[in-house]
Amino acid sequence: MLALYRSLLYLYPSAYRWEFGHEMMDVLAEVQAEIRKRGARERVLCVAREVGGLLYGALQEHLWSITGSQGGRRFSSLFSSGRFAMRSEFRFPKVTVGLMMVILAAVMFTIEKARAISVSIPHANPAVGPIHPTQAMIVQVLLATLIWAIGAGAIGWAILFALHRSGLQQLSEMNPSAEQRSSK
Amino acid sequence: MDITEPVLLILLSLAEQPRHGYAILQDAESMSQGRVRLSTGTLYGALRRLLEDQWIERFEEKDSSRGRQAYRLTATGRRNLRMEVARMKHLTRLATLRVAGKET
Repeated sequence: MLALYRSLLYLYPSAYRWEFGHEMMDVLAEVQAEIRKRGARERVLCVAREVGGLLYGALQEHLWSITGSQGGRRFSSLFSSGRFAMRSEFRFPKVTVGLMMVILAAVMFTIEKARAISVSIPHANPAVGPIHPTQAMIVQVLLATLIWAIGAGAIGWAILFALHRSGLQQLSEMNPSAEQRSSK
Repeated sequence: MDITEPVLLILLSLAEQPRHGYAILQDAESMSQGRVRLSTGTLYGALRRLLEDQWIERFEEKDSSRGRQAYRLTATGRRNLRMEVARMKHLTRLATLRVAGKET
């Protein structure tokens, strides 16, 4: 069970793991030793509680590492003083969101307009009969989807890897206040 | 800092004396008479936020052979806890009066 807990700890941000990982494993080991004395139902409940707590905690810590605010706080707390209350490297003005919304509305309006025009103009081309997908076609579609998914995954991984190597994360991990606290 | 019930129990546990992680879990459970059982993930999430807001501080236990980390309230934490308790006292008094008024 401790191996499961240890693997779940890898879901936490590395800075957090570095600061609290050993301590959390000590506590989990003590909890594990204590529940051995209890009944099977208690044990299952305790494991479920710990696994749930670790998953939720990891999610909260990642959210915090991005936004700089606590996951439990209201979403409105992200919008303070005219800016998103994110960590400095992610900050952008609130007006950007407004601009993005305007662009999205314009795109949607254009699509609707184009659809209305296409309906109003009679079709010059003959109507295409119903398409009956063959087995080969399904395989092609599946293959294309698979290739697309692998490509998207590779690009995503490359972006994350580049961000990790860029030094931003290393800098955020060098939290002087955390070091001071641990040295006390 | 949002003072949820788990956070309040952690603060009350540390108000009595400095404690390490597992001792806080046990104390929170005993204070709530078994009603609140904190998971390790929840505990350390709350401890991290309290450390960040400087309500508590971490130190190495001297009498521990393993160099275990323990936590204690800071002056800010104690002051904020006192204020929170006063707020809760006021609410409880108000609630008692209102409920009693409704019953009579």
